[in-house]
Amino acid sequence: MDITAGTIVLTLIWGVAIGCIYMLLATGLNIIFGVMKLVNFAHGQFLMIGAYLTWAISVAAGLNAYIAILVSMALVAGLGVVIERFTFRRVLGTEKLNEIFVSLGLIYIFENAALLIWGDQSQQIVSPFSGLSLNLQSFSITYDRIVAVFVVVAVLVGFGLLIGKTKIGLAMRATSQSNGTAKLMGINVEKICMITFALGSALAAAAGGLYGIIFSFNAQTGAMPTIIAFAIIILGGLGSIRGAIVGGLLYGIAEQMATLFLGGIWSTAVAFALLIIILIIRPNGIFGEKGE
Amino acid sequence: MPVTQQLYMFLRSKGFQLLVVCFAVLALIPIFITDSFFLFVFTLIFIFAIYAASWNFLANSGQGSLGHAVFLGIGGFASAIIGGKISIAIIGFLGVIQMPIGALSVLIQVSVLLVGGLISAGIGLLIGLACVRLKAWYLAIVTFGFSVIAGSLSSQFDSFTNGISGFAPTLFVPGGFPFYILVISFTVTSVAVMYLIMKSRMGLAFRAIRGNEAEAKMIGINTAKYKLIAFVISTFFAGIAGGLYVYFIRFVDNSIFSPTNSFLPLIMTVIGGLGTVSGPVIGAIFLTSVGQILTTQSVRQYLSTSLGPFFPKVGYVGPPLTYLIIGVILLVIVIFSPKGLESQFRKFYKYLITEEKGDKTK
Repeated sequence: MDITAGTIVLTLIWGVAIGCIYMLLATGLNIIFGVMKLVNFAHGQFLMIGAYLTWAISVAAGLNAYIAILVSMALVAGLGVVIERFTFRRVLGTEKLNEIFVSLGLIYIFENAALLIWGDQSQQIVSPFSGLSLNLQSFSITYDRIVAVFVVVAVLVGFGLLIGKTKIGLAMRATSQSNGTAKLMGINVEKICMITFALGSALAAAAGGLYGIIFSFNAQTGAMPTIIAFAIIILGGLGSIRGAIVGGLLYGIAEQMATLFLGGIWSTAVAFALLIIILIIRPNGIFGEKGE
Repeated sequence: MPVTQQLYMFLRSKGFQLLVVCFAVLALIPIFITDSFFLFVFTLIFIFAIYAASWNFLANSGQGSLGHAVFLGIGGFASAIIGGKISIAIIGFLGVIQMPIGALSVLIQVSVLLVGGLISAGIGLLIGLACVRLKAWYLAIVTFGFSVIAGSLSSQFDSFTNGISGFAPTLFVPGGFPFYILVISFTVTSVAVMYLIMKSRMGLAFRAIRGNEAEAKMIGINTAKYKLIAFVISTFFAGIAGGLYVYFIRFVDNSIFSPTNSFLPLIMTVIGGLGTVSGPVIGAIFLTSVGQILTTQSVRQYLSTSLGPFFPKVGYVGPPLTYLIIGVILLVIVIFSPKGLESQFRKFYKYLITEEKGDKTK
């Protein structure tokens, strides 16, 4: 394949669009970590469930896919509340390994439940813009990818307002700074944790809806995005939302460039190589605080 | 002569006698149960017991790996490729297709497996060097990353590994019962060796690191060194398990690096009991039997006729249902009994004993 300036620009735009989806997922993972000090390895499974729900709603009710995303966000937030209440809350504060084990159990449950309910065939959500693309001189780009960028920006702005301007956001920030002090200030920390988890799950569901519009997905889709989202928040620093945004963009572009120059099998391996090198040099991530 | 004396003490100790009894019982099982399916399941269980025990050994030093399949795969590929080269050399030398049966072929088989383990331990040393400074989820994600990279590398150097289409390794010992004996000798030795290390001073250091790394450092334990040692020993045994696995199923391809294989020893260990010696073995017995029973022909048929109509989108209800149940079991155990089945058995045993004592006093 010959690489022209046009292909590179196209790859860049693709990278931005995909990066935006990862960004959304990473932000969700990040606030859950920030507030609860918990890494939910089953976060990508919320993306997968979100994609399936969006698909099911848009097919069953004939809704516009972008509106169906909102419904699926609400449903997945509810699922998040249940999961937080009955699994993570019970192991929070015990050994760190237990959280990884619980996430792993959840991964098995979600993936196989989705497989049983929705089957093993890949699906793709049909959006109003399906098949339409913006044609410029040397390349074309589908409208869905452009819309995805705007949706992500809108969701993140709304999310930023929630964190920055509301009382719940204030409580969340307080809890993330110091769990104990927040409790002393009269914040119901358990409730805040539950809201945070629901919010994070909803962001994952939004990412899932967009993912399902751009790519085809199946029950196993969740695994890779989780790892990628984790890589992004390590790149950008655990708990930092700006870091997740920058990291997401960087990651999306790097992945697409690796695919362009090295071939498809290397797209994820290169990302991991990058991640591993960073962690070897800085064991707590680029902006991570020094532990202990 | 402290070494010979120690050895003498060991040979006379109760632990060694227990070991011999274990080995004898395990070796005699297939004589009474001659069904080939049971032999298959038992062999698989004991291969996974080594694998799970190796993971447990690493977790016991505070390092939870999510990419142990790298070492399973490296051990498998290395021993299969080396075994293939040796068998070609033997055929060229003797001019016959048949393998020489007897002590020599057993020796070749064992050394091929050990070399696979050593190569795996060598890679483990390199990866361990990258991992000693990492904690909890950073370590988990980096080890997982290595398993993804291993799969990509194996595809990239396909002319050497043949990993994309896969290949069948040449077995030096006859399959079936002789191979089963080989597997249980490896299992009993590996578990015993890991047990002895865990009980030694080094094992104490591992547990101290797991308990609190900063404190362990404070009392003068070279944490990086001990973590690295744990990594190398664990990857050595994982490599051996990989070699046995590959020779047992007589096929190896890139899918051996899959996340499922990485999560398997973790789930077995957690279900059985983390940080104990018998935990991984109990977990391997439990999980492998559940998996195998649910995939037998009759159970599969029953499941697809009884539950199939509820899930019309799936061809076979069995496998996803199995994994779903495994996920639920894992959750229930982590939440309600974090020390695993082993602790439950122990509680039950204690309960039985105290009951007897109560009778005596009456």
